[in-house]
Amino acid sequence: MKGSREKAASELFAALYPSLAGWCRRLVDDDGTAHEIASEAFTRLWSRWTAVAEPRGFLYVTAANLVRDHWRKLERERRAVRRATAEAAVGPRNEQADPSVRLLVQSLPGRLRVPILLHYYADMPIREVAALTGRKEGTIKADLHAARELLRAHLRRSLDHTL
Amino acid sequence: MITHSDDDPDFGPDDPLAVIMRPPAEYLSPPPGRYEAIRRGAARRRLLRAAAGTAVACAVGALFVLPLRSAAPEAPVSPVVPLAPPSPASSPPAEPTPSASPGPADRGSGGSGLGDRTSAPSTAPVPTARPSGVPTFTRVPSAGQDSATATARPSAARTGAAVPTPARGTQR
Repeated sequence: MKGSREKAASELFAALYPSLAGWCRRLVDDDGTAHEIASEAFTRLWSRWTAVAEPRGFLYVTAANLVRDHWRKLERERRAVRRATAEAAVGPRNEQADPSVRLLVQSLPGRLRVPILLHYYADMPIREVAALTGRKEGTIKADLHAARELLRAHLRRSLDHTL
Repeated sequence: MITHSDDDPDFGPDDPLAVIMRPPAEYLSPPPGRYEAIRRGAARRRLLRAAAGTAVACAVGALFVLPLRSAAPEAPVSPVVPLAPPSPASSPPAEPTPSASPGPADRGSGGSGLGDRTSAPSTAPVPTARPSGVPTFTRVPSAGQDSATATARPSAARTGAAVPTPARGTQR
C-alpha cells in the first residue's frame, strides 16, 4: 500500500516536475526561484491529508499563487530600493522597453491572470480551468477574452514606447 | 504546446500576442535529491500540522470542560452536628459573676456543661466572699468548744469544696 503510493508519487514527480518548473521559469527571474516554487507546490500537494483528484491542476494553481506572491515581494523590494536610491526610473524603463511574459501577465488583474496562466502557459483546456477556479466555462472564456484585450493594449503601448 | 484555435477566435496568425502567449515549451529537470527532499518536507509538515491540530483540539476541549465542571452543582453536604452551641457560650461569661455567688444551687440549675465550665472561674470569688460569713459562724464555737466546730463542718460541706480554704484562713 505504502510502496504503491510511493511509486505513484515518484511517477507523478517525474512526469510533472520538469514542465512545472519550466513553466515557473518563464514567470520568474532565475532557475533557483523556479525550482523553489515547483518544489513548494509538490510539498503542498503531498502534505495534504486528503487526496487530490486533479494533481496537475492543483500543482499549477498552487504554483501560480506562489508566483504571484513572488511578484508581490519583488515589487515591494523594488519600491523600497526606489525610495532609498536616486536611480529610480532605470528598472521600469527597461521593463517597458522589453515586455516579458512575466510583466505582461503581471499587469493583469488577479481574476484574469490565473486563467491566462493556466490556459496558455500550463496548456489546460478551458473545461479544466473552469473546474479548478470554480467558475463557469463561459466566464472563463470571457475572462480570457478580456485578458487578451488588456495584454494587447499593453503590448501596443510598449511597442509604441520603444519606437 | 496546445494551440487553442477553437477557443481563441481573437488570435490571428500575425498577432504579436499569439507569439508571446505561446512560448516554446520549457523544461527544468529537478536537481539530484530534490524528490527525496520534497517528500521529507511534506512528511514533516504533515506531522507538524497533526501535532498542531491535536494541541488545538485539546485546548478547545479543556476550554469546554473546565467551565462546565466548575459550574456543575456540588454534591449535597451532609449536615454536621455542631459540637456546642456557639452563641450562649461566648456572651454570658460576664453576667454569671454576680449571680454565681449563691453557689451550688445555681450550678445545679445550669443548662449546659459549657456554661458551668465558664461560670466556674466566676465562682472563684465565692470562697473569698464566704470567709466573711463563715468566720462569724465559726468564731462563736471556737471560743471554747470543739463540738461547735464539729457542728459547723456539716454546713461547710453543704456549701461545697471551697469551704476548707476559708476555714484555714480564719484559723490563722
